[in-house]
Amino acid sequence: MKAFERLYRLHSGKVMGLCLRMTRRRDVAEDCVQQTFIRAWRSLAAFEGRSAFGTWLHRIAVNEVLTHERNHGTRAESDGEAVEDAQAVPGETNREYDAGEVMDVERALETLPPGSRHVVVLQTVYGYSHEEVAEMLGIAVGTCKAQLHRGRRLLRERMGLPEMSDE
Amino acid sequence: MSERKHDPLDEALASLAKDVAPERDLWPQIRAEIATTPIVAEEPRSRMQATWFRLAATVLLVVGTSLVTYYVTRQSMQQQVAQTTAPQTLPAPVAVAQPASFSFGSERLGAGYMNARAELDKSFQQRLAGLPPAARAKVEADLADLRRAADDISKTLAEHPSDPLLQDLLMSTYQSELQLLANVSELPTAGSMRTDL
Repeated sequence: MKAFERLYRLHSGKVMGLCLRMTRRRDVAEDCVQQTFIRAWRSLAAFEGRSAFGTWLHRIAVNEVLTHERNHGTRAESDGEAVEDAQAVPGETNREYDAGEVMDVERALETLPPGSRHVVVLQTVYGYSHEEVAEMLGIAVGTCKAQLHRGRRLLRERMGLPEMSDE
Repeated sequence: MSERKHDPLDEALASLAKDVAPERDLWPQIRAEIATTPIVAEEPRSRMQATWFRLAATVLLVVGTSLVTYYVTRQSMQQQVAQTTAPQTLPAPVAVAQPASFSFGSERLGAGYMNARAELDKSFQQRLAGLPPAARAKVEADLADLRRAADDISKTLAEHPSDPLLQDLLMSTYQSELQLLANVSELPTAGSMRTDL
């Protein structure tokens, strides 16, 4: 139990970040984080170590979010403040951005349709490949690529960024 | 690729914090929940499949050798008796097996199955006594193998009660056992023929 608590302390931030950006609501995201760790505990024996523990947790978290969306429907409104309140962890960013710029990205991300948002979050924020994202979300790799392209185009529009090739 | 390095969108997305701390400590609730739930040891699918194939292979092997024994013994018995009398009619094994009432043990198949099996077993023992020693030993070994296979399948099924393949396999093993009993019971005995003569 102590060891599992250490794992929780180590990974809960990333799992929360992933759930929050996918659900856009802090209360729902916290429920999903809680369920993710409970499910992970129950399935520990099934963890075969073929992927990193964090990746395995993320897969469970994505499942929890998708299950929640299926059961409750995807809510149109978002808890904007929840994402804005997210504090950047030192060392996590490649370069410094001013607060306004980061908020613009978060806000623009929130406005994306769920399908595109999920793909953009998993791929561009958490660094998973097309194949991994497709498997996590239960969609075809082609669909994943199309959603990413659409998401990036919408983000550029909403952030007032110039068009660039996404290929 | 170098163009993407300077894409302001990529840089903005990369600037996002991956870690977001929950507002409250979720651990106490998680701990309370997992304290009451054990870790589920899911058996890997491949191991389950290997078990199933092993059990199925055992049953197939036993059924196959039983049929060979039955036909060889029947041939041999028919050569011993010049004229045969009509074989005694016995209950059909398939009629007594009730998949709907199936559980782990043969006793759970119901009174009908148990009665038919006891009746067949009685008749089987009578016929078995009249078989040549080598054939009798082979039939007894086959029956023991079948019953051992049924026990193995029952035990595995107790661990995986919802596995439909195991349920089917156990049912077919019971039917094979009944078939073997019925086949041997239908054999004409040399002793009875000599009495008739």
